[in-house]
Amino acid sequence: MSDTPAGIDPRGPRFGAAITSVLLLIVIIHGLTGISTAQGAASFGWFAYQPLAGQTFLLNGFVLAAAPIGLRILDPAFLLLLVVALLFLWGVLSPRTAPWGVLYRKLVQPRSKPPTELEDPRPPRFAQGVGLLVSVIGLVLQLAGVPWGLPIAAAAAFVAAFLNAAFGFCLGCQLYLLLQRMGLVGRRRAA
Amino acid sequence: MPTWIAVLVVVALVVVTALVGWLLRRRESRPRPAAAIESDWLEPDARGEQATLVQFSTEMCARCPQVRRMLHTLVDDVDGVALAEVDLTHRADLASRLHILQTPTVFVLDATGAVRSRFAGVPRRNAVAAELGRVIGEPAHV
Repeated sequence: MSDTPAGIDPRGPRFGAAITSVLLLIVIIHGLTGISTAQGAASFGWFAYQPLAGQTFLLNGFVLAAAPIGLRILDPAFLLLLVVALLFLWGVLSPRTAPWGVLYRKLVQPRSKPPTELEDPRPPRFAQGVGLLVSVIGLVLQLAGVPWGLPIAAAAAFVAAFLNAAFGFCLGCQLYLLLQRMGLVGRRRAA
Repeated sequence: MPTWIAVLVVVALVVVTALVGWLLRRRESRPRPAAAIESDWLEPDARGEQATLVQFSTEMCARCPQVRRMLHTLVDDVDGVALAEVDLTHRADLASRLHILQTPTVFVLDATGAVRSRFAGVPRRNAVAAELGRVIGEPAHV
């Protein structure tokens, strides 16, 4: 295969996935304690948010559905997931310069043993795209005022990132075959 | 939601994910019987005299190269066993026909070319060696 790109140290993407997992855990904690899942008027106190005049919401309803778009965006969980999504985007567009990869090569790789095997850089890049998609779904759900959408999407992304970091599983890469079987990606051999 | 409940939920999420990962890892070294799958998709001259290992990959398969290297060392150690590789990137039809949901997937074919068992994921070397030995009808000397 002459078009195969140069191999990368497989520990690099796993190192990045470990940092991503931690960030996503923080997103989930903020999502669970913040506006994404809050219910009822009592929770409004800590946002210092005064309901707009004429705006009504059910006492037992979700705060997010009644909150104006600005509050949905300024939510810490939203902002941090936005950062994670941008990092995923960076990893898709330019894997060589993505921050965690650079950090790995500058700080970790020189101090560890040389890699015993190199890996194709395309699967981790594809997985970054899947991570990006899941994060964007979470952000869009929050913007649309769907309660629990953001923390659940963040949890899905966490499961994928953690399985990659801890076990070397690449759910995004597994997904590739399923998408390909559905005819969404990949190429068919010319008959 | 109070912070302590959120932290508990997150801890539970980590524990469950770790458990799932551990179970997935364990399942990967367990061969599944695959009776009655014909192997007309494999060139007859790609088959080994005693048995054949077939690895299915795609271009987006991060863990396929390590399995390929492991199977190569295994095949080198056992006489009459061939290793074939099928790239499913171009063969979506084959993936559906053989019910392959993930790569790498490894098929163990016997001397007649019938598919005897399959591994989904990254199997341990000794698990494949044991299965190969069972299919050949004697313990593989590896």
